Amino acid sequence: MSDVVLEVRGLSGGYEPTQIFRDVDLEVTAGESIGIFGPNGHGKTTFLKTLSGLIDPWAGDVFFTGMRLNREGQRGSRKWRNFNYDAVTRRRMDPKQIARAGLIHVPQGNLLFPELTVIETLAVAETAATDRRGWALDEIHALFPRVAERRNHKIRFLSGGERQMVSIAAGLIAAPRMLILDEPTLGLSPRIRQELCAAIRTVRETGLSIILIDQDVAFLEQIIDTLYLFDHGRISGRMERDEMPDHEALMVMLFGERH
Amino acid sequence: MDPETALAIFKGGIVLGALYALMATGLSLVWTTLGIFNFAHGAFIALGAYVAWQFSSSDAMALPILPAVFFTCFVMFAVGGIIYFLLVKPFERRADVVLIAVITTLAGSAIIENGLLLIWGPRAKQIQPFLSGELELAGIRLAMSEILLLCLVLIILLGIGLFLRYTRPGRAMRAVAQNRESAQLLGLDVPRLYAIAFGLSALTAGLAGSFVGTIRFMNPAMGAEPLMKALIVVIFGGVARFSSPIYAAFVIGLLEAFSIYAFGLYWAPAVLFFTMIVVLLVKPEGLFGRYQRTL
Repeated sequence: MSDVVLEVRGLSGGYEPTQIFRDVDLEVTAGESIGIFGPNGHGKTTFLKTLSGLIDPWAGDVFFTGMRLNREGQRGSRKWRNFNYDAVTRRRMDPKQIARAGLIHVPQGNLLFPELTVIETLAVAETAATDRRGWALDEIHALFPRVAERRNHKIRFLSGGERQMVSIAAGLIAAPRMLILDEPTLGLSPRIRQELCAAIRTVRETGLSIILIDQDVAFLEQIIDTLYLFDHGRISGRMERDEMPDHEALMVMLFGERH
Repeated sequence: MDPETALAIFKGGIVLGALYALMATGLSLVWTTLGIFNFAHGAFIALGAYVAWQFSSSDAMALPILPAVFFTCFVMFAVGGIIYFLLVKPFERRADVVLIAVITTLAGSAIIENGLLLIWGPRAKQIQPFLSGELELAGIRLAMSEILLLCLVLIILLGIGLFLRYTRPGRAMRAVAQNRESAQLLGLDVPRLYAIAFGLSALTAGLAGSFVGTIRFMNPAMGAEPLMKALIVVIFGGVARFSSPIYAAFVIGLLEAFSIYAFGLYWAPAVLFFTMIVVLLVKPEGLFGRYQRTL
């Protein structure tokens, strides 16, 4: 068994007071990439946000490169949660620490920093990478020629696809050991989708682990080794790449009927 | 109005505008970065004046005025950071943080003002002018201290502008202001950047306070009126860019100076508010750009 980079044990969470996902177990070994597939509104994004510390987990543990990312213990009792001040209830996960450990999350529909130029955005990402070095600017420009072309434009003038490229570029510069991509191709044209897909494959080939959420099985298949099915806030199935069915069959597996 | 009077009023308006620019910049810096409104800004102005007095007055530490102002900046930056960690940080994760921050910063303002009263007492104080002497230029007389004030204000505002634009922490501050979540995901230290923003804001307030302290007698509530003016400036100018409250400050300063001449001292605030309402009706986003949080 190769060494595990990311280990999620019994993670539960949600937005108070609604629980969104429960008892998620996940393991990613070095160099492995996984995909998460599931219908909209079943808690994939919330799960990822919890993983990167934006939302506090309710229960469970997250280990990354042998380091515990959460404080031990459960969330407070109901009485304590009502005093939901930072002063009283300490956060159980710290997004800054997680990002600096190398677990970089590129969120869904990323708006980035609308008034910063592309090059400034990448410089900000570089600030974040403290003790390790991320990708160099030349490598980024080779990966995304469009980003190089548009480097002096403000983010808000970029198209959706270009913005997604800058998001991923920023993630790469921030020295990732694992990259979380939340629906990177959402709402993009097929051509841009292809371009992004090729780029993500290139990133994948450098040996970087990727957690990829997408609704497009054909796209997932090109990147990932293992697919997790996410259904009503739980992981309902796990399959290797060669056992992955097509989109229709997956929907049947999730919903029990043709959709 | 003969030209000489007009020039004198113009000069007064510019000096006033420079002061307002300093105050409003601090206010908008916190508003754009943290998304909260700092009601303790007026108290920062008063505190800055008293700290500057403490350093410079011959009754206290009797430092020369420039080092005194420099140390004041230092103290105020630290005070701003501390106030952020005490009054804002604990409530940041709550959904109603904007409302809570109104109350906590008001409380902070009351505490600071009463603290000033306790420490320095109720006797009116004044800081010695930074420079004495006058300069005659094209028929108008400029006090050296006014020239120094104008230069210092411009240098400081330029400095903050360059800091935000070209330095690493400045860029990171703008990033956090524009999208806090993305900044967190990239591993930026958000509380530290917020504390820097608060510190810079307090620094500009303290400077403004020490300038006001040379012009008027100081009392602990001296910040209330400048705070109101700074608020008008911020709403009037919008906060689309770092520079928009600065332009607005000079417009308001000139408007105030001329309306004092035309309508009298007691009508000047009414004129300002009336103008502000008209501007908001015609151009809701403020005179100089979109009225939204960016930096």
